[in-house]
Amino acid sequence: MLNTPTVTMFDLHVVLPAAALVFGAIVLMLSEVFLSSPNRTYMAVIALVTSGIAGVVALNNAFEPARLVLQGFAVIDPFSSFMTVMVCLGTGLASLLAAGFLKHRNAERGEFYALMLFAAAGMSLLAASNEFITLFINLEVLSVATYALTAFLRRGPRPAEAGFKYFILGAFAGALLLYGAALLYGATGTTRLSDLATLLPGAMATRGGLVYAGFGLVLAGFAFKVAAVPFHMWTPDVYEGAPTPVTALMSVGVKAAAIVAMVRTFLALVNGLDPQVPFILFSLLALLTMVGGNLLAMPQRNVKRMLAYSSIAHAGYLLLGVTALFVPDAARSSDAGGVLSATPLLANAAVNASVYKGILFYLLGYTVTSIGAFGTLAAIERREDETRSNTWDLERLAGLAQRQPGWAAAMAAFMLSLAGVPPMVGFLGKLYIFSAAVDAGLIWLAVVGVLSSVAGTYYYLRVVVYMFMRPAAADAPATFRHWTTEVALVVSAVATVALGIVPGPIAEWLSRAGMVFGG
Amino acid sequence: MEHPLTQYLPIAVVFGLAGVMAVAIPFLAGVLGPRTRTVMKGEAFEGGNAPMGSARQRFAVKFYVVALLFIVFDIEAVFLYPWAVNFRALGWFGYATMLVFAATLVVGLVYVWKKGALDWES
Repeated sequence: MLNTPTVTMFDLHVVLPAAALVFGAIVLMLSEVFLSSPNRTYMAVIALVTSGIAGVVALNNAFEPARLVLQGFAVIDPFSSFMTVMVCLGTGLASLLAAGFLKHRNAERGEFYALMLFAAAGMSLLAASNEFITLFINLEVLSVATYALTAFLRRGPRPAEAGFKYFILGAFAGALLLYGAALLYGATGTTRLSDLATLLPGAMATRGGLVYAGFGLVLAGFAFKVAAVPFHMWTPDVYEGAPTPVTALMSVGVKAAAIVAMVRTFLALVNGLDPQVPFILFSLLALLTMVGGNLLAMPQRNVKRMLAYSSIAHAGYLLLGVTALFVPDAARSSDAGGVLSATPLLANAAVNASVYKGILFYLLGYTVTSIGAFGTLAAIERREDETRSNTWDLERLAGLAQRQPGWAAAMAAFMLSLAGVPPMVGFLGKLYIFSAAVDAGLIWLAVVGVLSSVAGTYYYLRVVVYMFMRPAAADAPATFRHWTTEVALVVSAVATVALGIVPGPIAEWLSRAGMVFGG
Repeated sequence: MEHPLTQYLPIAVVFGLAGVMAVAIPFLAGVLGPRTRTVMKGEAFEGGNAPMGSARQRFAVKFYVVALLFIVFDIEAVFLYPWAVNFRALGWFGYATMLVFAATLVVGLVYVWKKGALDWES
């Protein structure tokens, strides 16, 4: 007797945003082959409208109660729904950036936007996955789309190098994750995260080694995806070689989806483990990533590589938030008998809620800021430069304040936001994350985070200095202007400043995301 | 209690024997076999004719596209077959699921067709 799953419309809410994105992608693919209009800006508009619709649907989902759907293969909770909203925001802005960028290079193709939307659908479902195979498939959906996007501009060796590196290392990381999931399945007999949470304490008693090996492999797989030090080596090369709008999408969407999936996975996996182990591992990752990302960004004269390293540092701050979830409860771990059965999560539910809010607000702020920063770079870089090595050198930004005062002001806002200077949104994001970490008792880690972010101010402000205090080179090429680029830059600049000054309603909404299913 | 892997012991024995054979037989052939080396014998064997040109040829990328398309529809057949066997039991749920799956592939086929990937001469 076959048991056909019962699926109600209520269950399908979780896939609606992704379904909208996939539908838009299919429309774009068909429009590419059936309409041969020379002006293809309409494709960016289709992509924008699609991500707008998906974003509104996801926002609607965010106010539904958290619950398991589709036989426990997925969850619908405010945490994942808000993540989807941010992904849709990022995808919409990145496709606007791409319109001008691709037009300038005569490379406007429907496939580009379709791949972006497929990647966004993968991110949206990845954040809602509650089962290892679902999680892996969605991780691959988003990864395969971004591999192809990375090498989309095929001219020259750089995109090929970036695409190949990203593909090999991404596939390797995916395999690690899958191997870890297989070991955990071997130990417990389930791939569902919520079942793993209940079965792991029992499995620890008999097959502790398997559980720890699986835990480590899954952690390494995720660490590759979020580009945590020491799994970050691919990031600068891939970010540099990819078309700049794709880099913008990768730095916000892929990272955000991976962080959210990581939180959901490890909330389940830490059950039954010695609470010190995940705590030490995550602290180490956060520490190395914060310090390493900032130190490596400092000597970069290439602004695109600098922003790539800066995105590593920002992943570090997010990992600091994740670490705050796994702080062992001191009272309980001192009780020797209860160490193995202690669940560190139940003890500090109030802290966890502020951590979720911090992570989400940080991701939102980073989304608008990073899209804007990469967008300004995309607007400045010239097609003729592609073969030269100094395309993204700091000199390119010299005197931007005279040539394009609007862009220079926007870029200054993005740089200050990345550095965490009030009143930009980056400051509030850091404030939420660091204060949540301090509440959780991670005082020294938070101090290191603040110090490394102060050190980071140096390379962000250097960009501002070049734009406003250095004269433009005499042979500075004229910039290519396109209305879509301007719209994207204005929206992200306004959001960067406005969210920093009046976070009110949005931060209020995100507090509701303190409800993570099972957290 | 019998260890759950015990029933796989014969398979392990077969794997072991296969490994021993794979190592031992080429080794024995190398040690015991008589050999005479001439220039003629050193040439690559291509069905008896004298080899010409290099073995490192470049293949048209068209083969790659065809191989990918083949895999897509091959996998479709793999999924369709168990559904067809259980058609009645799966009912409308299975039918709707399969319809979405097949429709997506048809759209893909239309895209590939219009894109010109099915034209061999172009």
